[in-house]
Amino acid sequence: MTDQTGHPRHRPSIADSLQSGEQLLRQAGRDFLVHLYAALRSLKLYPVENEQVQRALDEVTSSANLLLELEDELEVRITGEFIFVNATRLRLSLDNFASFSHVLTTLRQAGIGVIRVGGDVDRREWQIFISQLLSSAGREGDANKFAELQERLVRGSVVHIVVEGMVEDEDDFDDEEQAKEVAKRTYERTVAVTKEVVNSVRMGRSASVKKVKRAVQGIVDQVLSNEVSLVGLTTIRDYDEYTFVHSVNVTIFSVSIGKRLGLTKLQLYDLGLAALFHDVGKSRIPLDILNKTGALDDDEWRIMQAHPWLGVLTLFGLRGYGEIPYRAMIAAYEHHMKVDLTGYPKSIRDRNLSVYSKIIAVADGFDAATSRRVYQTTPLQPADVLKEMWENPRRGQDPVLVKAFINLTGVYPVGTCVILDTYEIGVVHAASSDPSQMHRPVVRVVVNADGVSLGEGFLIDLTDNDGSGNFNRSIIKVADPDRYGITPSDYFV
Amino acid sequence: MTSPTHEHEQEPAPEGLAEVHDLMQVLIKGVRAIQLYLPNNPVYQRALENIRTAFGPVWEMTDELELQVHEAELLWDGAQVLSQDNRSESIPWLLFKDGVRRLTMLPGAEDEEIVRLLQVLGKARNLVTDSPDDLLTLLWDQDFHAIKYDYVDLGMEEVPRLERSEEEPARPPEHVQQQIQEEVQDEQPQGIVSIDDFDSTLYFLDEREIEYLKHEIEREYSQDLRGNVLRMLFDLFELQTYSTVRSELVSIVQNFIPYLLAVGDFRSVALVLRELRTVLERSRELLPEHREQLETLPDTLSEPEALGQLLQSLDEATVHPTEDELGALFRELKPEALTSVLSWLPKLANERVRSLLYGAATRLAKAYPDQLVKALDEEDEPVLLETIRLAEQLKLPPLVPALGALFPRTGPEVRRATAKALAAMGTPGALKQLEQAIVDADREVRVDAVRAIGAKRHRAAIAVIEEVVAGRKLRDADLTEKTAFFEAYALLAGEKGMNRLKELLEPKGLLRRKEDPQIRACAAMALGRIDAKEAREVLQRATSDKEPLVRNAAQRALQGDKQA
Repeated sequence: MTDQTGHPRHRPSIADSLQSGEQLLRQAGRDFLVHLYAALRSLKLYPVENEQVQRALDEVTSSANLLLELEDELEVRITGEFIFVNATRLRLSLDNFASFSHVLTTLRQAGIGVIRVGGDVDRREWQIFISQLLSSAGREGDANKFAELQERLVRGSVVHIVVEGMVEDEDDFDDEEQAKEVAKRTYERTVAVTKEVVNSVRMGRSASVKKVKRAVQGIVDQVLSNEVSLVGLTTIRDYDEYTFVHSVNVTIFSVSIGKRLGLTKLQLYDLGLAALFHDVGKSRIPLDILNKTGALDDDEWRIMQAHPWLGVLTLFGLRGYGEIPYRAMIAAYEHHMKVDLTGYPKSIRDRNLSVYSKIIAVADGFDAATSRRVYQTTPLQPADVLKEMWENPRRGQDPVLVKAFINLTGVYPVGTCVILDTYEIGVVHAASSDPSQMHRPVVRVVVNADGVSLGEGFLIDLTDNDGSGNFNRSIIKVADPDRYGITPSDYFV
Repeated sequence: MTSPTHEHEQEPAPEGLAEVHDLMQVLIKGVRAIQLYLPNNPVYQRALENIRTAFGPVWEMTDELELQVHEAELLWDGAQVLSQDNRSESIPWLLFKDGVRRLTMLPGAEDEEIVRLLQVLGKARNLVTDSPDDLLTLLWDQDFHAIKYDYVDLGMEEVPRLERSEEEPARPPEHVQQQIQEEVQDEQPQGIVSIDDFDSTLYFLDEREIEYLKHEIEREYSQDLRGNVLRMLFDLFELQTYSTVRSELVSIVQNFIPYLLAVGDFRSVALVLRELRTVLERSRELLPEHREQLETLPDTLSEPEALGQLLQSLDEATVHPTEDELGALFRELKPEALTSVLSWLPKLANERVRSLLYGAATRLAKAYPDQLVKALDEEDEPVLLETIRLAEQLKLPPLVPALGALFPRTGPEVRRATAKALAAMGTPGALKQLEQAIVDADREVRVDAVRAIGAKRHRAAIAVIEEVVAGRKLRDADLTEKTAFFEAYALLAGEKGMNRLKELLEPKGLLRRKEDPQIRACAAMALGRIDAKEAREVLQRATSDKEPLVRNAAQRALQGDKQA
C-alpha cells in the first residue's frame, strides 16, 4: 500500500498509536490550561461583557470540548507541583510555565485538588465557574471557602463542572515533612558522592560513576517533584567543604533553571551532571591555595584560574563512562567565560558558549556570592546578589538567563531574611508561584512584631490580600539574619 | 503453584494470588524471550501477548500491583508470588542487589512499559562490574509512568546528616523589637530593596527571549560535542606551555583517536589531524619530544593495523560518513596508507563504503602515484586488481613500467586487467609494455593486447604480430582471435602486408595447399582494412570463392570498405 507520494504507507503500531494518542492529549491538555489561564486573567481584569473575556471563554469552552471528544471525560488534577489532565502529566515548557504556575496557584488558593468536567458542559457554566474560582481564590484564610465554592456552583446550576478539595491538611503536613526528608537525603548523598569523586581525584583513585549518575538523577527527580524543599537546602552553610556543597547547590539551581526552560528529564540529567562537575578541576588545585583565607597573590590566582581547564583534564581521566562526559567537560571549561568570550580560559579557536555553561555560570555566580567561603566570611544577601547580577553587565552573564534565574528565585531568593511591614521578621521559604508577583514570596515568619522568636514560625503567602486588593503583608527591607541570630538554613533542614 | 514459604504462610492466601503468580511466571519467560529473540520473532510476540493476557485478571481484582522485593522472592500482599534461588537467573535478586525494595505496576503498564522493563532487566543482568550503570540508573532513564520502584541507596548509610545549627540563647524580645524599628526607620539604609527596583514585568521572558532560549537549547543538542572538546584541547595545548600539561594533552589526544575511530567519528579524526598541523606551527616553546609525538600521530593512523581497524569499522558501521568527511580524513593520511586502503577495497562488503573509499583512494593515488607503483608490487591478487583498476582510471604515466612488470609474474585475471589498463592508457609506453601480452598464454589477454595495438597503430609491434599471423599456433585459435590478429596486422602493415594476406587468401600453384577457410576469411577481412586498389581486386575475386565463409568475408570486407 502506498500513499499519494508513492511511498509505502506506514501502518502505525500499537505503540505508535498510544504515543500519538498521548501526545495529542498532552497538547490538548496544554491548550486547555493556557486558555483557562487566559480566561482567569481576563475575567480578573475586565467585566464579563468585554470582548477579550468573551473570546477567552469561547476558547476555554472549545478546548475543553476537544478534550471531551478525545477522551469522553476531562479531569484536571493537582499533585504536588504537577498538573495532570486525564492522568497525563503536563510538562512545563518555555511557552507555558507562567500560565501553568498561575492556574496551579489559583486552584490551590481556592482549595481545589480536582476539577471534573462532564460531556455537556457549556460556555455559561465555564463563565460561572471561573468567576467563582477567582472570587474563592482571593479570600485568604477563609476555611469554608471551598465548601462555599461548591455551594455557589450548585446555586449557579453548574452541574457539569465538579470540584474536589485538596488532600487533608494533616496529610499535607506529613507529605511536606516526608518531602523535606527525601530532599535532605538527596542533598546529603549528593554532597557525599561529590566529596568521594573529588577526593578520589585528589588521591589519584578512580571514582564510582554509578553513584554520580544516581546522585544527579536524584537531584533531577527532586527538582521535578519537590523543588521547594531542595532549593531551600541550598541556603545551608558549613555542612561540608565549600567545594562539595557549592557543586551540589549549583546543580540544584541549574536543574531548576533547566526545568523552567522546558528541558526533558534526560536533558536535565545532562545539565545536572555538567553542573555537578563544573568545579571538578579544583580537585587538582593545591589545598593551601584552595583554602587560603587571605587574598591570593598573582601566581596563586593564576593557578586558581586554571581550574576550568584542569576540569577538562580531570574528566578525561575519570574512567567508567560509557560515553565521555563531553557536556560536563565543556561546562567545566566555559563556566568562567563571559558571553563575549573574555574571562578565562582564553579562546583561540571559534567558540559559541554552550547554553548549559551559561546556565551554570549564573547558578555558580549566585551561589558563590551568597556562600560563606574561606576568603569571603560574610556572605552577601541573596537579594543583593541577584540585583547585582541583573545590573552589572561586567559579570558577563547571559542577561536572558539571569532573567530566567530571577523568574526561578523571585526577587527575594529562598533563605533571604526580610522585615515585613508588620515589623515581623521572616525567612523567604519559596518564590511566589505567580510569576507576576515575584516580589511577594512565601515567607516563614520567625520573629513576631513584639520581637519574640517563634521557633518553627508559620508560613504566609505575601500575595494574600484582604479581598479588596490590599495585601496583608509586604516586605519593606532585607535584613542581615546574623543581626537577629537567625540561621535561615535551619528552617529548611 | 508453588506453596508460599514466607513467614506469612500461616495466613490465608490473599484473593488473586494465583493470578499474580501466573503473571510472574509469564514475566520470567518474557525476560528470556526478549533477551533471546528479535521483536518480529513469533516467540517474542507470543511471550508479550501472554504477559498482556496475564495482566487482565490481575487488574480485575486490583488497580495497583505492589510487589515487595526480597533476596530470592517477590511477595504480594505478604504472600510469595515468585521464588528463584539461583542468583544468576533470579529476577528478585537482580532487583534486590541494586537496592530495589518495592516494584509497583499500575494499569497501562502492560501496554508498552512492561516491554521496556523486561529489556532493562535483561540489560542489567549482563552489566559488568565497572559499568557506569546499574539497574537503578537504567530504570531511571526509562521515565516510567505506570511502573514505580522504591529503593534504598546502598553504601550511603554512613553519610553525615544535615543538622540545624546550635541554638543560640534567645535574644530579649524588646531588644529585637528595637533593632527592627531602628533598621526600618533608617533612611534608605543599605540592603533595602525597593519594589520599583524589582518591577516584576522586567523579569518576564518576552517572545524574543523565549525564542532565543529555545534556539540555544536546540543548538546545545545539535552541536558537534567532540569537535568542541577537541578545539578546547588544542587551544589548551597552544596556551599552556607547562610540559606536564602538554604531555597529558598529547596522551589524551593519542588515546582519543582510537575511541573516535571506534565510534565512527571520522570527521573528528580528520579535525585532529588538521589541527595537529596548526598546533605544530603555532605552539610556543614546544619541546622536541612533544613535537615528535605530534608529528608521528598521523603516521600511526596510516599504519596498516590502525587503518585496517578504521576500514573494518567503516564497513561494519550502520551510519556512514559522507564522501566529504571521509575525504577530509583521508586527505590527512600519509601516502603509505594507500596500499592498506587498496588491500581493503576488495574485502569491503558494503557497496556505499566501497564507493566512498574508492573515491578517497583515487584522490590519494593522484596525489601520490609512487604509492600506487608500490602497490603494484603486491602479491595479493585482489589488491593488484584494485590497484590496476585505479591505474586504468587515472592513466598516470609513472605506472606503466610497473604494470608491464605484472605480465611475467601474475595470473591470468591480473594479466587481463593489466592488458585492459594498458590498452586504456594507450600511450606509446603503455603499448610497448603491451607487446609482451601479444604472446601471452591467455587468449583474452592476447586478444585485448593485439586489438589495442592495432587500434593505436603501434607499428613497433608489427614483427611480433606478423610472426603470429604466419605461425602455426594461430591456426588452432578461435575465429575471434584469428580475426583480431589479422586485422591488427593489416592496420599496422598497410600495403606492405598485401602479399602475405593475398597469398593466404588465394594461394597460387598446384602444389600449394590452401589455408583453411577461417584463415582465408580472416585474411579477406584484413584486406578490407587496407586501403588499396589491389586489395579490393583480390577481395572482388574472392566474392566468387567456393567457400561460403570466404565469400561472405570478402563481401563484408568490401562493404566495410565502401562504408569507410
